[in-house]
Amino acid sequence: MSRIKDWLAESHDLAFAILLAMIVYGYFAVTNEFFATHRTTFAIMERFAVLGLVGLALTLCIIAGEIDLSIGSNAALSAVIVVRFTDSLGAETALLIAVGVATLIGVIQGYFIAYLRIRAIVLTVGTLMLLRGVALFVAQEKTVMLTDFTIPDFIATKVLGYFSPASLLVVAMFVVVGLFMTFTRYGREIYAIGGARKEALAAGINLQRPMIIVFAISGFCAGLGGCIIGLRSGTAQALGLQYLLLAGTVAAFIGGVSILGGRGGVVGAAIGTLTVNFLNTGLVFNVTPAFMVQLYLGVLLMIVIMFQTGSRMFDDHQRRRQILSDVDGRRDQLLRRRAAALHSGQGGGGPGAG
Amino acid sequence: MTGRTISGVHNRALALIDRWVQKYSALVVVLVAAFLVVFIYGMVTAPNFLTVFNFKTIIRDAALVGIMAIGLTFVTLSGNFFLLSMKETAALCIIAFATSMSLGYGFPISFLFTMAIALLAGAMQGLLIGLGGNPIVVTLGAAGLFFGLGSWWSDNLVLSFRRPHGAEWLGTGSLFGLPNITIAFILIAIAAEMTLRYTTFGRQVYLIGANRAAGKATGHENLSMAIKVCIIASVCSAFVAVAFSAQVSSAHVNYFSSEFGSSGDMTIMVIATVMVGGNSIMGGFGSTLRSSLGAIFISTVDNMMVLHGFNSGPRVLAVGLMIVFSIIVFALLRRGSRALE
Repeated sequence: MSRIKDWLAESHDLAFAILLAMIVYGYFAVTNEFFATHRTTFAIMERFAVLGLVGLALTLCIIAGEIDLSIGSNAALSAVIVVRFTDSLGAETALLIAVGVATLIGVIQGYFIAYLRIRAIVLTVGTLMLLRGVALFVAQEKTVMLTDFTIPDFIATKVLGYFSPASLLVVAMFVVVGLFMTFTRYGREIYAIGGARKEALAAGINLQRPMIIVFAISGFCAGLGGCIIGLRSGTAQALGLQYLLLAGTVAAFIGGVSILGGRGGVVGAAIGTLTVNFLNTGLVFNVTPAFMVQLYLGVLLMIVIMFQTGSRMFDDHQRRRQILSDVDGRRDQLLRRRAAALHSGQGGGGPGAG
Repeated sequence: MTGRTISGVHNRALALIDRWVQKYSALVVVLVAAFLVVFIYGMVTAPNFLTVFNFKTIIRDAALVGIMAIGLTFVTLSGNFFLLSMKETAALCIIAFATSMSLGYGFPISFLFTMAIALLAGAMQGLLIGLGGNPIVVTLGAAGLFFGLGSWWSDNLVLSFRRPHGAEWLGTGSLFGLPNITIAFILIAIAAEMTLRYTTFGRQVYLIGANRAAGKATGHENLSMAIKVCIIASVCSAFVAVAFSAQVSSAHVNYFSSEFGSSGDMTIMVIATVMVGGNSIMGGFGSTLRSSLGAIFISTVDNMMVLHGFNSGPRVLAVGLMIVFSIIVFALLRRGSRALE
């Protein structure tokens, strides 16, 4: 029992995320008889394959104190690349090229952010547009399509009950990144530059390495996610996938990252993504139009932000009160000591000015 | 004699370039030079580019994005980065305006109604930002909210109102041979620049943007400032929505998403305009004049590419390159001149 209490006190964000996920799932499971079934679970895992990658990428970026706005464009670019070149080069080569390009874009972004010492939002809002242009260029302003549908069929095959090859790959990705973030020095450097950048730099961390790693992972995830979407549906549009940023950000914030950086983790990202997926799938089951999903996601994000801002203001308030009371206590102590000294010295010294 | 003069000029030019290279970095000089060469080449070779009519077209194209960018510049200057909800605010407002117009309330009431909605939208975002929320994330959420509300309100349909209506003068009218939207753009640009330069509020924007701690210490909290600048940005979006709706006599939430202009996303175009103008995204440095010029500049390049017969892909690419280019150049120029945040 006390162990549970300790865990709750230590990671209340995660507890909140799990609670929220359970509430959302429970709500839809009760109101819709088709929701809590094996088939729906498979469908949710299929969604998890894409959104999970984006949520993971954004979680890492926010842990590092930055945000990657270009993630949707990057995903759209690799979707276009993989769909366009699968017919001529084969799926494996096209996949390699697409994910490689996306990762390379991430590395370049990370390098420039660290080299120019600018905020990531500044650069990524530019690359958002740039990559859309590149994607339009690659797709020649058309919707690209596959002609051979063996790959989409392979990706959507069921293995191990609830999984497909795509979602298995993504789960493996979560495990690897989670281990990396927790147990390696590079992973902890990412937490360090997010939570306390000045202190981390003063302690000798080279800003470039963690920044490049974060954005490389972000690019890789975006690229892989784009490839999965593109190959699964067999089509890709250069201007598509804009919704990924909002959904991924909501997932990351539900998962307990702090906008100030340095907090959150891969488990939170997974739970946050699942929550968003429950919401998405449940709303689709209840025949809600797509724009309403966006509305709900927006409201959810605003609520989480309000919650975080409120708790931060409360923390600040508490800390200030703590400091003030410490100062008061110290002053009282000093005054008392002086009074005692004066008393024992029989008023020999002059009274100090207040 | 002449030979010596030429070599003198040559040497002086070399010295000038040398000084530039030392003052800025070699990369900046090379980038700017390469850009100028491409720009001038395109300008000279584009057919019908250097005509008065084309110049008017450029400014008219720049007007709508420019007005939004002027509004956003206040947010950027005050150190609150940018709002990702510009086009969604406009989408909500265009629905509000068209609904009101189609119900027959007339232009003044519809206009005021739209502005009131923009005021609310701006105040809500400003409040959350001022209380310490990250502007990007808050406005990302607000964007989803506004877009959803707009779609829900209009049932995701195109609303239209009949042609002889009270807003036609704003949408399609013209004065002295200039479209009214262009005139509105120029007037708003002048008013915004005057506000920033000569009023207390304008100076406060710069102060809080340049140094938030100093602003706080002198009693200028970011809370009220964030609310004010967000309202300005939202009202500018709403004005653009009204002008655009008056032009086409209809409204749909997607007008600002994909069909608008050449380059896809209106929000990103607006942010691009602010950046290409050379405003510091960290706040405190820049002006609305820069944003207006940025809008005209992007519009010029776009116009040139249209005249050369480029498709939308290369044009979006060009705008993207311009943003990234301006980010890199301005970051290199300002390197070391400001304390790093």
